[in-house]
Amino acid sequence: MSLHAQDDPALRAAQEERLRAVWKPPSGWFFRWTDVNNNRVGVWYTLTAFGFMLFAGVLALIMRAQLAVPSNDLVTASTFNQLFTLHGSMMMFLFAVPMFEAVSIILLPQLLGARDLPFPRLSAFGYWSFLIGGVFVSGSIFFDVAPDGGWFMYPPFTTRTDLSGLGADIWMLGLSFIEVSSVAAAVELIVGVLKCRPPGMRLNLMPLYAWYILVVAVMILFAFPPLIAGDVLFELERLLGWPFFDPAKGGDPLLWQHLFWIFGHPEVYIVFLPSIALFAMMIPTFARRHILGYPWIVLAAVGTAFLSFGLWVHHMFATGLPKISLAFFSAASEAVAIPTGVQIFVFIATLWAGRVVFSTPLLFALGAIAIFVIGGLTGVMVAIAPFDWQAHDTYFIVAHLHYVLIGGTLLPLFGGLYYYWPLITGKKLSDRLGRTAFWILFVGANLTFFPMHITGLLGMPRRVFTYPAELGVDGLNLLSTVGSYLFAAGVLVIVVDLALSPRRAKAPRNPWHAGTLEWLAHPDDEDWGIRSVPLIESRYPIWDQKDFVAKVDEGRFFLPDAEEGRRETIITTTIDARPAQVIRLGTPSVVPMITAVALGSVFILTTYHLYWLALAGGVVTLAAVLWWLWSTAEIPEKREKPIGHGIVLPLYRSGPAAPGWWAMFITMMADATAFSGLVFGYYFFWTVHPAFPPSGLGMNGPGAFWPMTAMGLTLASWAMTVAARELHARGQVSVARGLLGVGILVTLASLFAGLAGPWVTGLAPTLHVYPAIVWTLAIWTATHAGVGVICQSYTLARSIAGRMTPEYDADLRNITVYFHFLALTAIVTYATIGLFPLAS
Amino acid sequence: MSEDDTSGDDDRGLTERLRERRVTLWTLIVPPTVWAVHFLFCYLWVAVSCAKQGGFARFPIAFVAGTILALGIIVASGAIAFVQSRTPGDPPPHDESTGIDRTRFLATATLLLAGLSFVAVLFTAAPALMLTDCR
Amino acid sequence: MRDLTLLMTAGGVLIFVIVAALFTIAIRSRQGAIGHRGGMRLVLWAGAIVPTVVLAALLIGTLPAMRPMKADDRALVVDVSGEQFWWRVGYRAADGGAFAAANEVRIPVGRTVDFRLSAGDVIHSFWIPGLAGKVDMIPGRTNRLVARATRAGRYRGQCAEFCGLSHALMAFDVVAMEPAAFDRWLTEQRRPPPTPATLVAQRGARMFADNGCGGCHAVAGTPATGRIGPDFSHIAGRATLGAGIMPMSTANLVRFIRNAPAVKPGARMPRYTHLAPADALAIARYLETLK
Repeated sequence: MSLHAQDDPALRAAQEERLRAVWKPPSGWFFRWTDVNNNRVGVWYTLTAFGFMLFAGVLALIMRAQLAVPSNDLVTASTFNQLFTLHGSMMMFLFAVPMFEAVSIILLPQLLGARDLPFPRLSAFGYWSFLIGGVFVSGSIFFDVAPDGGWFMYPPFTTRTDLSGLGADIWMLGLSFIEVSSVAAAVELIVGVLKCRPPGMRLNLMPLYAWYILVVAVMILFAFPPLIAGDVLFELERLLGWPFFDPAKGGDPLLWQHLFWIFGHPEVYIVFLPSIALFAMMIPTFARRHILGYPWIVLAAVGTAFLSFGLWVHHMFATGLPKISLAFFSAASEAVAIPTGVQIFVFIATLWAGRVVFSTPLLFALGAIAIFVIGGLTGVMVAIAPFDWQAHDTYFIVAHLHYVLIGGTLLPLFGGLYYYWPLITGKKLSDRLGRTAFWILFVGANLTFFPMHITGLLGMPRRVFTYPAELGVDGLNLLSTVGSYLFAAGVLVIVVDLALSPRRAKAPRNPWHAGTLEWLAHPDDEDWGIRSVPLIESRYPIWDQKDFVAKVDEGRFFLPDAEEGRRETIITTTIDARPAQVIRLGTPSVVPMITAVALGSVFILTTYHLYWLALAGGVVTLAAVLWWLWSTAEIPEKREKPIGHGIVLPLYRSGPAAPGWWAMFITMMADATAFSGLVFGYYFFWTVHPAFPPSGLGMNGPGAFWPMTAMGLTLASWAMTVAARELHARGQVSVARGLLGVGILVTLASLFAGLAGPWVTGLAPTLHVYPAIVWTLAIWTATHAGVGVICQSYTLARSIAGRMTPEYDADLRNITVYFHFLALTAIVTYATIGLFPLAS
Repeated sequence: MSEDDTSGDDDRGLTERLRERRVTLWTLIVPPTVWAVHFLFCYLWVAVSCAKQGGFARFPIAFVAGTILALGIIVASGAIAFVQSRTPGDPPPHDESTGIDRTRFLATATLLLAGLSFVAVLFTAAPALMLTDCR
Repeated sequence: MRDLTLLMTAGGVLIFVIVAALFTIAIRSRQGAIGHRGGMRLVLWAGAIVPTVVLAALLIGTLPAMRPMKADDRALVVDVSGEQFWWRVGYRAADGGAFAAANEVRIPVGRTVDFRLSAGDVIHSFWIPGLAGKVDMIPGRTNRLVARATRAGRYRGQCAEFCGLSHALMAFDVVAMEPAAFDRWLTEQRRPPPTPATLVAQRGARMFADNGCGGCHAVAGTPATGRIGPDFSHIAGRATLGAGIMPMSTANLVRFIRNAPAVKPGARMPRYTHLAPADALAIARYLETLK
């Protein structure tokens, strides 16, 4: 297919007809919800997150009404505690993080000139999980059983079943479920950025939004798993009485605080960096020039990501840790302000060098930066420990964090809404209403939160349902309440603007005259994403590349057709974006929805202690996942296909060249991080106890024999899997099958040997934290061995069913990655529980 | 990896060899990773000494050596990045779709990260010089 | 602390004004007002180097302030334990006989006080804004806070870590006294309270015993030795009731006795609404004799 062929309008029309048929969304009152196309799933995701934001905002308004005057009794203490817990938890878990993922699911394929993300069904699964978990958690307030322990859920208040009820389980299990979907989305976005870029888009040409998404998704990968590890320990204590946080039995409430804040502080940057990413897209557009200092932005994003993992203890400045430990975190908290400053000055320099065209999105961006800078400066103040000892847990912090989150997340998102609305709907929002909303929001935010700095310094602690008149803060509180309702009015104006949108006429294409790839989107968009996948030669191809839009539209670039009637997109190499493969994408299916419902049932039924039903849900989940994998992965009907311009790409690759391998690798990184959270727990208990392991009935174990046996068996199974991969690739299929078959038995043996140690020595997990943490590590590793058995069995079955051959061996290569991580997990677990007691 | 450079005695040869080292996303994160390891090392050293011994050495050799080592790796990685970022070609911004521009971009970003990581390691080391007990 | 706050606030305002001014100039400037080179210089100096220097100075300048105050040999040791939702206070025998108190801490002016902070049930945080920063009270751990009052007077303290339903209603008083007055107070506290003299107070003492109040509350020199709730040996000497939430008065005492959960949601003290108002009043009268 030469350039010349695309001159023929009839050919183009035929191609478009084929593409349209392939990308046709499912219809019908039920089946329309089985769609997996990023445009549709992304919009559902965004609207749902927006809805949760409005809901959580209403909760805040009730709180402000209660606090308007001293000693008010509008709501009870119990209701108030549910209100602030849910407000914080929802804004973080159901709005800020999912919103960024939702927006990215919409934007990323467009920014990268891809037809869709590499795993569309995974996006759909993430959405349904989010919806189910979100409704479960937020709906609890209507039954007066919402979580009421604060969004940080500090034990022992929340783990003692006599002090806190169902709400704690709803928080822990409902949000764990959502964390799983967040990690799933992160996997999708990382693979999307690294492998789905258009040809020619080397790392130095990537849109800055993609850089930020890459960084943030990697942060999610390392930040969420420690919380998941904490959740596991938390629920083991609540449901089974394993005393991880109970000091009477050797536990320590501080372990939770460490695990929570190792998640919790990076979380702040996880919700802030995507907003900066929106600025990085908007500011060049309205400055009418390239961004100035592109590598500096990358520095800022990567630097912030790293440093943000060295800040967690600044939430624990008052816990009585050694001052020198606090000082390390104070130092890192100061250092993290440097990259943030760089980001802001890159924007100043870009605006300075360019010709600024004023617009509503830019107004939101500038107002947001003003508010954010104030929040950042108070952040530097509270990073200084002596100041924080006064400000900590007072309204000063409430003011600080709302300045950061309103300036760093909410207003940028509203700006992004005004900027990207034409991209998604083809229509512009009203400039007049937008500016009105902005000024109401800006004044409202400052009126609400500025007085809180003073309220806090005057001595008003956070999370109080009322305050005495003697404190002298009633005037300031009333001001804050008035401000909050003003702010709500601003949000209402935006909602009205959105509601009026369907009645407005379509805007022209690329209404802001932007230069980046996503603005190829046509007001009357087709579902295929992009007509042909372009060759990129600039950071702002629409501005810089000649006839770029026309060439894309006329299908003169790559993959302009869908000859085989399949949904396809191009995979390129990580660094230089050389075309490497064409992959077939998942099509609409009920499987993601069924999997999400089944997995959700596991978490929800466990909340109500319906363990047998939960187990049944788990079996259904497993079956659904296996069916999903089995039916999605296939051997293509031909080896390769041309994508235009004489380039022929393979349709199948395995190992590190394939997106599936990366997805497995990245998922296992998250898994290993969660595991390291548990291992951290073991050594944490070792540091807090003079004698660890302790001795006594039910506490002596697990010995060295069984752990070493289990380690040896796991390593043997790992070696068999690696050998099977190698021999299989050389065509020795039956030997490989034999190795896998024996491997299944050996892995199974390692599972039982791993549990045998604590079992035969009679470690009693409810007695003391030592047996509890040993059992936890052993069960974690045994569970992973169980998954290993499933992996090996699945691969063996694929081979026997003829769905895996020496040439098409992605399954075997992917499970080998799993086994590398399994071996690592086993070595660390069994060395810790079996050998460390001998050394200490 | 690139093929070996032939002559290696003069200064230019070294520069050339450095320029031909591969630059990837992994080399980009070397400096901040060193910061992270150093940070974790400092924190764990203090936490374990305070919990297990109730105090730590006044001018600990392991701490000083660790800090110097961390700074050394960061400087080395920054120096390599500096040389690579000077690979001849068109002036910045490096926004052409060429291998050279990609290399120069990644090298510049690595150099900047090395600067930030250097400062961050110094920041982390400061408390150990100024606070001396476990309270 | 005050100087640090003012210094940082002033610095913050200055930085904010500079950044806002730069944004304004940047937006108003014509196209190409600065080139690539100038822009990069701005980012390098204003965005990276100046902030690094300012932050380094701030860090190095404030690190010494992190050193805790030294507790000297003469330091008064006071044990305080956070409970839902009140404060258990204990003075040690080193000063001539240990005794317990609650919800009010008296300290001498000019002498360092070494607070040993723990928690009975959940995490609380001990905070006296006018005296020192906050320190968490964590079950299973004992934290220390060393502080010194430089002038006599009453300081308000409160719980700063969310601890349950009545977290908002968990305050206390710190009374800093001149050393001589403090020593007199110590001596008084070590003595059991006087036996009630009036008829109604005597009836109150009986009601106190009959209703099992002594199961939770202790009164020195009587069979009441409960340790679940606050110690009442010298309750009448305190200025406030219910952990700093209302002034000490007969009416408030009656209110609290008859329906503590209404005054303080989540309090462990059950309702005594079946108690006749006259009986509750008698108990209040008895409590008022415990000086």
